[in-house]
Amino acid sequence: MIADLIQNTLDGLGIGAAYALLALGFTLIFGVLRRANLSYGAAIMFGCYAATWAHVNFGAGLLLLALITVAGAVLAGAYVERLCFAPHRQGSAIAAMVASFAVWMQFEELATLVMPTHLYAFPALYEGAPLALGPYTLRIDALAMLGAAFAACVLLWWTLYRTRFGLAVRAVVEQPDAAALAGINVPWVFVRVFALASAIGGVAGYLVVASHGQITPMLGMWSTLKGLLAMMLGGLGSLPGAVVGGLALGLLEAHSQWFLGPQLRDLIAYLLLFVLLAARVPWMNTRSAS
Amino acid sequence: MSLLQIQDVVTAYGKIEALKGASLEVAQGSITCLLGPNGAGKTTLMMTVAGILKPRKGSILFAGEDIAGRAPHDIVTRGVALVPENRLVFPGMTVLENLQAGAYQRNDGKAVAGDLEKMFTRFPRLKERAAQQAGTLSGGEQQMLAVARALMSRPKLLLMDEPSLGLAPLVVEEIFRIIAELHKDGVSIFFVEQNAHMALKVAQHFYLIEQGRISFSGTPGALAEDEVIRRAYLGSAQQ
Amino acid sequence: MDEYTIGVLTNIGLFSFVALSAYLLLIAGELSFGQQAFFGVGAYAGGMLTALYGWPLPLAAAAAMALGALAQFLVGLPTLRLRGLYFAMATLAAAEMARILFELFHWRRVINGELAGPDGTQGFRGIRWVFEHGIEPIEYLAMVYGLLAVVLAGFLFVERSRLGATLRSVGQDPELAASVGIDIQRVKLGVAAAAGALAALGGVLYAHHNTYIEPRNFDIMLGVHSLAYALIGGLGTAFGPLLGVVLDIGALEGSRVFHGYRMVAFGGLVAVLLVFRPRGLLDERMVRWLRTRFT
Repeated sequence: MIADLIQNTLDGLGIGAAYALLALGFTLIFGVLRRANLSYGAAIMFGCYAATWAHVNFGAGLLLLALITVAGAVLAGAYVERLCFAPHRQGSAIAAMVASFAVWMQFEELATLVMPTHLYAFPALYEGAPLALGPYTLRIDALAMLGAAFAACVLLWWTLYRTRFGLAVRAVVEQPDAAALAGINVPWVFVRVFALASAIGGVAGYLVVASHGQITPMLGMWSTLKGLLAMMLGGLGSLPGAVVGGLALGLLEAHSQWFLGPQLRDLIAYLLLFVLLAARVPWMNTRSAS
Repeated sequence: MSLLQIQDVVTAYGKIEALKGASLEVAQGSITCLLGPNGAGKTTLMMTVAGILKPRKGSILFAGEDIAGRAPHDIVTRGVALVPENRLVFPGMTVLENLQAGAYQRNDGKAVAGDLEKMFTRFPRLKERAAQQAGTLSGGEQQMLAVARALMSRPKLLLMDEPSLGLAPLVVEEIFRIIAELHKDGVSIFFVEQNAHMALKVAQHFYLIEQGRISFSGTPGALAEDEVIRRAYLGSAQQ
Repeated sequence: MDEYTIGVLTNIGLFSFVALSAYLLLIAGELSFGQQAFFGVGAYAGGMLTALYGWPLPLAAAAAMALGALAQFLVGLPTLRLRGLYFAMATLAAAEMARILFELFHWRRVINGELAGPDGTQGFRGIRWVFEHGIEPIEYLAMVYGLLAVVLAGFLFVERSRLGATLRSVGQDPELAASVGIDIQRVKLGVAAAAGALAALGGVLYAHHNTYIEPRNFDIMLGVHSLAYALIGGLGTAFGPLLGVVLDIGALEGSRVFHGYRMVAFGGLVAVLLVFRPRGLLDERMVRWLRTRFT
């Protein structure tokens, strides 16, 4: 019983790390642009499919695939930023969100057009045995995911608090008008934040697909739902919250699945979010979201 | 020589015109004051010059170049800095970081460090609180910080929107003393005020804005002599 | 009219209901990613009542609408005080829960010697009331549009009335509305119930048109599509959402020009259009202009 609990916890942390990365990307965009980007998961899927295409047609190696995924996600993200967010910077948040959903639709159809088979094999990250920790096992790709999440956190902290760009981002978040008056090019900050968020998402997507050894078009929907869910659970607009939310979601899912099966696992996560929102717990209303 | 020339500027919020064709000039090396009641368009004018708001009509010439409608960061590049109404410091960032933000566009690291030292010398209380979060500072200290932040970009023209708002009289005196000092250092200053008494002590030229239009332009003496203005803005008591 | 065209037109009518339900909430200032859940509630409830319990379609539809209204009212009670994205995420969570519950829902009965009824992920087949009563596709189409016309008439009447002004003021400036004594919660709950009923009506009609429904039909795609239809068509009038549906299902799907590229085309159209018209084609300004031109 305890052994199961511990093993589930390890597994949960592994997948939770993926959710944390996704949530970080969503939160960066939401925290800085005050908008939810509904095509974030689709942009990640675009990057992963670009890598799949390279793998299928050129047999590209693991590292190259990772780079293509990230580059693809960043490119897709740039398209989204220009079309869906830049025009509505001072306008309607709803218009930006619906536009980003429309682009999600574009990416999804594009993926099925260029890569028509529903499922493609993707080179596995690691084909060996999982790491043994006493009686427990930890998959190497879960370890890689945790490592990536940790690295992302360090990178983000360093960027925000030790670089000029980070100073500009924090200024824009705290007082957008004063930031512009101080000489900060606010639209350019948005573009770079978008690129950073997309890159983080690309890393997450690559690791997820490489862990599963396969890719389907459902990746877009999956990343979007999990990322949004984890972001909301951790408190909208908070980067540490995104990590906590992601890990918590992973743990919740691993334990729910063990006791209740996969369908109830998802149900419990949504139920938790609904209850937390309905109860208006303090930590979730950290930013104005309208 | 005219450093700033605003001509027939119209700025609107949707259908409501806040500036209905405002025109004024700020001479190089001067201290100019814009007086006016609440809602007259003072802040709108400042925000339009600084680029936060875009004018529908009119031109804004700074050192001969039309900056109307340009992005705020472009305007800072050209040498205009605005100390906004209500200070708008970055509350979660330290005093030092606020100042560094003000120097965002500058690439001359050593000179920036030198300027930071100068700011700390001019504003000793900021030096004490350099590592403190700006949101925890008092109103007067935040005003100092906002002014110092704007100065970090080495502006040729410093705009100030109601620098004395909500501050104790002693602090207000300090602010205006600093304005006079800055002027001696060669910075042209254009500020908006409701508190005409203090303004009379430093400003060299006055404009009055009412309902989106400039209704008076003249020296402090002319302002003080005008019956109507005196009653409205200076009280009927003799100063 | 050939069968394909009838099918396309019927679909336009069916999805107009759920688009109108998203529109209604948008007018009242709430963004919902979850109308698909109430569409599904209507579909399952209506289908079960006719296929398993022999209810006539009109009665089943009325019951389904009541159920949809109740369901959205209950979801709205704890959540309508939330703002913007928080409310949207709450509706998303509720809708996904509903979809999972549909996946877990088994209600099998022996009808005419065969096992029928919702069967979890296997779906619910045999909703054949329309065929058993000899209703031709074109007659069904007329029925759907008849109901849609009634609903539209209702919308147009409300929009010109004080209720319509109240709704819009709640949506545009809730503080102002509250300050003149409008009970925001009550208005929003009323809107929620109406929206739930509308979506459920669409669902009943959808179920009986397709004869087969499954949980996958009611996923987030449908919900965000409905929202997109409402927004792109325009928030100035109830014809807005209809225009959105027509643009997607009618022009793009129906025309076959964009066959295979429909989503790429529609997605691009939506994003570009929103740049120039953030409140849709038939936004408030356009509607005012049209009114002055034609009255």
